[in-house]
Amino acid sequence: MVKIHDVRKSYNGVEVLKGVDLNVDRGEVTCLIGPSGSGKSTLLRCINHLEKHDSGELRVDNELVGYEMRNGRLYELTDKRVCENRSRIGMVFQRFNLFQHLTVLENVTVGQRKVLGKNRDDATFKARELLARVGLKDKESSYPSQLSGGQQQRVAIARALAMDPKLMLFDEPTSALDPELVGEVLEVMKDLARSGMTMIVVTHEMGFAREVANSVYFLDGGVIEEYGDPRVILITPSSERLKNFLSKVL
Amino acid sequence: MTANGDATVKVVPVRHYGRWVGVAVVGLFLAMVVHSLFFKVASARIVCHVISGVKVCQHAMVYRYQWNIVGQYFFTSEILHGLLRTIFLTVVAMVIGIVLGVTIAVMRMSPNRVLSSIAWTYTWFFRGTPVLVQLLFWSFIGAVYPHLTLGVPFTHVTFVHFNVNTSLTLMEACAIGLGLNEGAYMSEIARAGLISVDEGQIEAATSLGMTRRQTLRLVTIPQAMRVIIPPTGNEVISMLKTTSLVSVVGVIDLLGAATNIYSENFEIVPLLIVASLWYLLVTTVLSTGQFYLERRFARGALRTPPPTPIQRLRTDLAGVASKFRTRRGIEVSA
Repeated sequence: MVKIHDVRKSYNGVEVLKGVDLNVDRGEVTCLIGPSGSGKSTLLRCINHLEKHDSGELRVDNELVGYEMRNGRLYELTDKRVCENRSRIGMVFQRFNLFQHLTVLENVTVGQRKVLGKNRDDATFKARELLARVGLKDKESSYPSQLSGGQQQRVAIARALAMDPKLMLFDEPTSALDPELVGEVLEVMKDLARSGMTMIVVTHEMGFAREVANSVYFLDGGVIEEYGDPRVILITPSSERLKNFLSKVL
Repeated sequence: MTANGDATVKVVPVRHYGRWVGVAVVGLFLAMVVHSLFFKVASARIVCHVISGVKVCQHAMVYRYQWNIVGQYFFTSEILHGLLRTIFLTVVAMVIGIVLGVTIAVMRMSPNRVLSSIAWTYTWFFRGTPVLVQLLFWSFIGAVYPHLTLGVPFTHVTFVHFNVNTSLTLMEACAIGLGLNEGAYMSEIARAGLISVDEGQIEAATSLGMTRRQTLRLVTIPQAMRVIIPPTGNEVISMLKTTSLVSVVGVIDLLGAATNIYSENFEIVPLLIVASLWYLLVTTVLSTGQFYLERRFARGALRTPPPTPIQRLRTDLAGVASKFRTRRGIEVSA
């Protein structure tokens, strides 16, 4: 589903990703862990082309992200094509980023209507179904500012799911939440994983990684230090750095 | 409950003696203003009456501000026509200004250097020269460009052609001139609004697959409106009065009409009052409109929207009424 080979990215001469390889199969849940500044979020943002990678190969569903190969040359995709591709990749942010001027229902329908071109009734029907799934059926006419962080994040997940994504990206979805609200968001994510959604999750929730992830990648200083089955590498890490990192977060 | 079973203990509020003195001083000045505005005073004119065979002469009592003359001219057609011209100029200039302002603000924020430099230069030029100069220039536009032709320079390709002197009225030229000037100021207001929207909102819209244009229209501009509206209201009200400059080039607006009348009858102050009262009236209507517009665009930003003036009046009155109804005091538990 996602194939990443030797991807590099620098900001103002500072290399944040120094040749990253990563593979995610359809239906798999992959967690990216690592200290802050290790490049986890940048990698995630490269996958839906919110950031342009400088070099390397990045494919989603066997198609290059942001480029097209024709006659042995790479052509940059037009904005329209990039947007089309992006609409099928859901993204959930650390700070929720719900549209503040729209109600919960409008947040979940706006993408369906304006990007996918669905009519109001179909979009509303789907939105209600998804809001019920994340347990917020009765909040559809609230504004984001009237909801708790956990509720906002669940709406954000519903908003992303409304686009029928083939892949979901989560950028530290529980880091901005009060501790007692983390559970409700993780519960929704676990449910999503069980339903067979392909997910890449940047997280500090080691419990979630161990329980749900098929594989865990540990990033440090812009490279993958170690990866593998969470039940193996989180319990008996082989690299010194991962051992060190785990001793701090667990 | 206190020991003797009394549920409440009397509370003595803090007495603000300084404030009372302040109120008395302000009240005195207010009384003087009201007196000078609305009570008749003796004028230099002497009127004589014959009362039971005796001729009595005294100074005539008149209103200092001659309210009778104000009333006499308030609804004359000359004034009302001037008012309509003022409103027309304000509306057209502001529409041009707002559309242009948003366009220039978006251009200014474009990653393309050419677009952003053009936007910057526009703002620099139109803010940097006096609006009166610009207005004079636009009123003489027919002398500079007798025929306006849109086409490709140095070739014979033309798209549009029209005669400026015959098809552009002086008033339209003024409206365009004021609008172009306003565009420069509005662009900075619009830009402030656009950069006030959280980057995360734009990222979220982008990740849903919205194009730049959709993001701007559906996410950024609606949220920027909250920041844009108050200064824009300011600009509209300021424009209402800036339009009085057009009398310099010979368009008879509200103030121009008042000037025309008093140059004939020399009732200068009453006619200035007529014009001012109309300006105040329109400003009041505009401010009210602004309040409701702000409320509309505050949706989602505040947990509870601010009360309308009518709602506020109702709660204020209810508060005053309850003060009289209930005894002051708080419950104290022993």
